[in-house]
Amino acid sequence: MKDGLVLEIQRMSTEDGPGLRTTVFLKGCPLRCSWCHNPESISPQPELQWIPVRCIECGTCVGFCSRGALSRGVEGVVIDRGACAGCGACADACPTNALEIWGRRMTAQALVREVAKDAAYFSRSGGGVTLSGGEATAQSEFCMDVLRGLRASGLNTALDTCGLCRPETLQAMLPLCDVVLYDVKMIDSNLHRQFCGASNEVILENLRLVASAVVGSAGATSLWVRTPLIPGATATIDNMKAVGGFLATLPPGSVSRWDLCAFNHLGRDKYVRLGIDWLYRDMPLMTAAELDAMKAAAQSSGVDPAIVRTSGATRLQE
Amino acid sequence: MAAINESRPGLKEPYNLSPRIGWLRDYYFKGTDRKWNNEFTAWTTGTPWDVCFQEMTYYIVPEVYFLMQALRGSYRQGAREVPLDADFWNWSLPERRAWFVRKVMVDMVPQEILPGDLVCGARFNIQTSLCLNRDEAAEYDRLLIGPNGARATMKRFHDHGYGNSGATSGHLVPGYERMLKIGWRGIHQEIEGHYQALSPEDKAGPRGCQLRAMMTAATMPRDVGVKYAARCRELAAVEPDEGRRAELAAMASNLDHVPWEPPTTFWQALQALWLGHMLVMSDENYPGPGVSFGRFDQYMLPYWQRSIAEGMDREFGKELLKCFWVHCNTAYDAQIRSGNQGITAGFGQLITLSGMGADGRDMTNDFTYAVLEVIDEMSPILEPKPNVRLHRGTPPELMDKIVQMISDSQGAPFLLNFDERSMAGMLRQAELAGMKDRINLDNVHEYAPVGCLENTMVGNDRSGTVDNNLNLVKAVELAINGGRDLLPYVDQITGVAEPVTQDGPDTGDATTFSDFEEFWAAYERQTAYIIDRCASTYEASESVRARFFQTPYLSCLVAGCAEKGRDINQGAAEINLTTLEAVTFATTVDSLLAVKYLVFDRKICTMGKLIDALRANWAGHEVLQAQARNKAPKYGRDDDEADAMAVRVMNLWCDGAWKHVTKSTGRRFRPGMLSWNYWAGDGYVVVATPDGRPRGQFLSNAICPSNGADINGPTSNSNSVGKALGGKSEDQVGNYRGYVNLLPNGASHTITFHPAVIQDPEHCEKFKSFLHGYMENGGTALQINILDPDMLRMAQKHPQDYRHLLVRVTGYNAYFVSIGRELQNEVIARMSHQRF
Repeated sequence: MKDGLVLEIQRMSTEDGPGLRTTVFLKGCPLRCSWCHNPESISPQPELQWIPVRCIECGTCVGFCSRGALSRGVEGVVIDRGACAGCGACADACPTNALEIWGRRMTAQALVREVAKDAAYFSRSGGGVTLSGGEATAQSEFCMDVLRGLRASGLNTALDTCGLCRPETLQAMLPLCDVVLYDVKMIDSNLHRQFCGASNEVILENLRLVASAVVGSAGATSLWVRTPLIPGATATIDNMKAVGGFLATLPPGSVSRWDLCAFNHLGRDKYVRLGIDWLYRDMPLMTAAELDAMKAAAQSSGVDPAIVRTSGATRLQE
Repeated sequence: MAAINESRPGLKEPYNLSPRIGWLRDYYFKGTDRKWNNEFTAWTTGTPWDVCFQEMTYYIVPEVYFLMQALRGSYRQGAREVPLDADFWNWSLPERRAWFVRKVMVDMVPQEILPGDLVCGARFNIQTSLCLNRDEAAEYDRLLIGPNGARATMKRFHDHGYGNSGATSGHLVPGYERMLKIGWRGIHQEIEGHYQALSPEDKAGPRGCQLRAMMTAATMPRDVGVKYAARCRELAAVEPDEGRRAELAAMASNLDHVPWEPPTTFWQALQALWLGHMLVMSDENYPGPGVSFGRFDQYMLPYWQRSIAEGMDREFGKELLKCFWVHCNTAYDAQIRSGNQGITAGFGQLITLSGMGADGRDMTNDFTYAVLEVIDEMSPILEPKPNVRLHRGTPPELMDKIVQMISDSQGAPFLLNFDERSMAGMLRQAELAGMKDRINLDNVHEYAPVGCLENTMVGNDRSGTVDNNLNLVKAVELAINGGRDLLPYVDQITGVAEPVTQDGPDTGDATTFSDFEEFWAAYERQTAYIIDRCASTYEASESVRARFFQTPYLSCLVAGCAEKGRDINQGAAEINLTTLEAVTFATTVDSLLAVKYLVFDRKICTMGKLIDALRANWAGHEVLQAQARNKAPKYGRDDDEADAMAVRVMNLWCDGAWKHVTKSTGRRFRPGMLSWNYWAGDGYVVVATPDGRPRGQFLSNAICPSNGADINGPTSNSNSVGKALGGKSEDQVGNYRGYVNLLPNGASHTITFHPAVIQDPEHCEKFKSFLHGYMENGGTALQINILDPDMLRMAQKHPQDYRHLLVRVTGYNAYFVSIGRELQNEVIARMSHQRF
């Protein structure tokens, strides 16, 4: 069995599929969405972060690194990302956990054992375990072991995917999933390439595949589509209409929900900790009116209006 | 009203209150500005040696230690003299006491009725003379306030960080159901029957004295009722409003019947219940704390149904309940001028709702919902405190109602009690305390919590649920230093340090221990010692109370007392236990884990270095402190290895508790975890602990993980709690359907949730799923708090204590302390505006 690189196990998760769930975030993603609010999930390698609020400036870490990747700067610990191998030795030594490693290797068996601890909380609400990312299909072999283990434990399974993978991978995984959460960001392929670092043909083709599997009982029993609403990118009336228009061409009844998730900026500090200048650093949240307009556009796009939902914070206005 | 809602959205407001209830509620909250209140009045026999303050009941309240003598003096000073019967001093002590309390309540305290009130029984907080003669008073003082008396003993116990202990009043469910069924006439008759059955020698002896005292006490509610009936008629005679006149007439005619005769209507039943209840508080000279109503929605149901069938408007029934609610709150008036803090901040007259009946069937009924409606419409209000009993068979409608109330109130206006786990504890108690004839599969579902969440049986059970509060972590300190305090005790006022003495057994020099098991062996012996010391500290006040403070009225309401001809304070209850409430559980477990990790497993420091750091309160040892806090394993994360230590600690001290029995009253100790507010206050008394906590920082609360330790969220926290209580196993003594509960008393567990978890119907469904999971994996009781902006501001100030705090923005979670200041401020602002 193959190890997986797990970013985080989030228990009592309420936003990643039906019921109460545990969401497993896997590390490594084939897309490079400019707005990504989990930038630490993109690289398929472990990454070191320094959390200033925890640091007591004891200096334990500096000089600890055999590759000399850590030094002390004016504003605290400086990580030389070129030199850091992500081995985590400094994080183990850091007394306050101010240095932490994003991503740890786990076996499928250990992961299943860990998430099964919350089985009692899932059942009454149709909840279970969601494999999310990063991108779960990028670690498909590992994920299939995990899904099989979850199935064997009688747990409901969900796959949260960006859809960019080989169709065979999806076809293999679908029979092991009860729910698929599928991201559709934008329909215009050029814009998609521009904002997400890859075109969307495969993504849309794969969505057709999942949709027919759902209605044909050849796999998961329900499909939820999710669209992040990013001001200046996906959050346009045209894009809402285009995405909805596309969804309307899928087999009737295959999409049971279409969630419009408003842009949020809670990931801002993660960018700082990764040393990346984020394009959306100063982007304000959407206003409630903007969110309503997106919803209205989505509802008039040709899909069953009842499947459209919105979520996420909107701008505080006096 | 609208303006208030706008400025502080999310603040629960009462609703659907009639002008009558609105006025009574508003009046109550005027506090000291009221013309009328129910502040203690003190009453004396007039002897120069008289004592009008039963101080032992406050031995578990460290806030008043410094005031003990002052309170004793001032109550005596302010006491009014009661003209005594000519034979008074010839009677036995319980007879004097019964007569005196009745005299005060019937003839001395005025009968008052607030405007519009529909339930009689207003002033009941009294401090009455202990009724001691000169010789008794001298002996009492010698045992109590002498150099080695109960007061000094308990104070030493507290000063040295062990916790507190004292024979305390309340904390039981009196036999109210029976009181309503047979009326006080029936109770009186039964006591008289027991008395008449005594031999002439016994009649002249202590049993005869006690039963005569109880007969006197049993006439007190009758006579108070007669007085209130007369008062109603006086008021009716001058009442201009016709409607009110009719109400007063109805109240008078109710009181012509109850509480002496059994009630027939709901109004009468509620009236009889209130008088019966308030007089317990008068008798004990102690308002509120833990005198609980038990399964209110079960025993009141027949009266409710009958009155509804006879045409009582459901809303009028609720109106009566709301009056009753206001009455319960007047208990707080006792020490109204000292403000709501410490003991005066939460009294705990519990009302139990729903839960299992025989054969596991659910007992929710229309009256359950009526009471929940009253709570919802009245809240925020402190008393009575509802406990809703949940179990696998709880109907979805009740779950919906509960979650809706939690959502509307932004926090639970009740405590949730979990039947399966709770009943397993009671069955285990039945086995270990040898009381299977009194608690078994046929009746265990009749249990009810008292005080906060302490599970007991009803009408025959006194389990001293707040009497002993032991800091388990003291045993770690003693094990580290060979049975001696780590630092000398310094008197807070004089600044004088006491020399350190060999208090616990000499378990050797910990710096020479070669492995953790050697340390554990020392810890084990010190644990036995601190439990033993707690038991002997308790005995000091328990024995004095048994001898000098009887409560014959309360004894009428507790099965076992009349049969034995002995007072409840002399150990006569059929279920006669006291509870060792462990405080600092997680601090103890985490400290042991830290010692193991730092000194033995990873050898990060020597024991000597650790001891130096603890003595220095970690000053100059910040790196080691950080390692103790952040690197050593912790209980509360659903980490099986760490939780195994929790189970080990739990088994050790529980086994220790069961071994002890009070000498004077034969009460076996049973284990529980309440910890009330001591985990905060004692944080300043208990020295630094190996888990990285400095002196001055809070200890862990009851069975909860240490502050900030539960970094894996509510489900892992709950799983750890369930494991620590014994988890599930068909082999364990007293398991109930596989549930094991080592703590029959139950364990206080609080979880704070982000408001987004109940923001809309979809999330409420998910939250219900959490509660169902808790039923399977969690503890005996759960307090649900909802995160508020104030807590987030605290987290900004003390990030170390709030590492676990998750903030949720739909679709996204983040640890609050690790998102920059600017975003933190925005999260706070959003929460203030109820926008997530």
